[in-house]
Amino acid sequence: MAISREAFGEKVLALVGSLHGVACRLTGNDTDAEDLVAESVARAWKALDSLESDAAFRAWIFRILHNTFVSERRRANARPQCDPIDGEDLDEAEPVFSIFEQMHQPFLLWFSNPEQEFLDRLLREDLERALATLPEHHRVVVILADLEEFNYREIADTLGVPLGTVRSRLARARGTLQKLLWEQAQARGLRGDAATAAAEGRAAGVPRAKSGKEA
Amino acid sequence: MTKHEIDCEKALQQIFQFIDHELGGDEREAMQRHLHTCKSCFSRAEFERRLKGKVGALRQEQDAPEVVRSRISRLLKTF
Repeated sequence: MAISREAFGEKVLALVGSLHGVACRLTGNDTDAEDLVAESVARAWKALDSLESDAAFRAWIFRILHNTFVSERRRANARPQCDPIDGEDLDEAEPVFSIFEQMHQPFLLWFSNPEQEFLDRLLREDLERALATLPEHHRVVVILADLEEFNYREIADTLGVPLGTVRSRLARARGTLQKLLWEQAQARGLRGDAATAAAEGRAAGVPRAKSGKEA
Repeated sequence: MTKHEIDCEKALQQIFQFIDHELGGDEREAMQRHLHTCKSCFSRAEFERRLKGKVGALRQEQDAPEVVRSRISRLLKTF
């Protein structure tokens, strides 16, 4: 696609904040992130012929950023990656972890909502830590979907994977994120007061009902 | 169950696509109808939507540090 140097520069500068933000979360530090953005922009300029349309620019340059990150890391590690990027997605039999399923107490809805209280008590640091701990192939889909608000097609184009892989990988990534948040909460003894209340309520003989309104 | 009605199992399979606005017209309407009648799935959808919002709120102000912006600006001039 023909694009002038000025137009390319304007588009890059409009996205440089997002590119740097994602680069920070991929590399884990500002210095490497800065280098990654610069290297990606240089590669993007050289690969301008591969840009198919103006509308595809964002996914295209983020794809170059991601590919650059992966190739640079492989070179730094000097050996093949062990992160099972695609194999992991094939394991559909493994259930996706859900905090909601761990905490939901339908018979308590009339006076308490444990899972919502869990969210109320979540701190930014908890989320940052869990996100940073996610395996890279999970972290990147969460970043693109939830922080950068890419749609599934853009994520697929960015990562060079089919749409179905985006759906399954994102579901598994969110499950892994929730498992990490759950483990952090358990380690701190902070699953939420309501969970404790739920257990105490059962011990005290709070009647079970099909729905809270019936209790 | 008519063609455009879904059960809880199907609703849970599509819950992330729903909160990500990735369901097409008929599927989205079927999901919305199900959520109107199923308190458990409605609560699950609300939970996932709130958690997605909290994760999304981690996004920093997307203005790159000046040192980065300057470096990229200088780089662009070399093309």
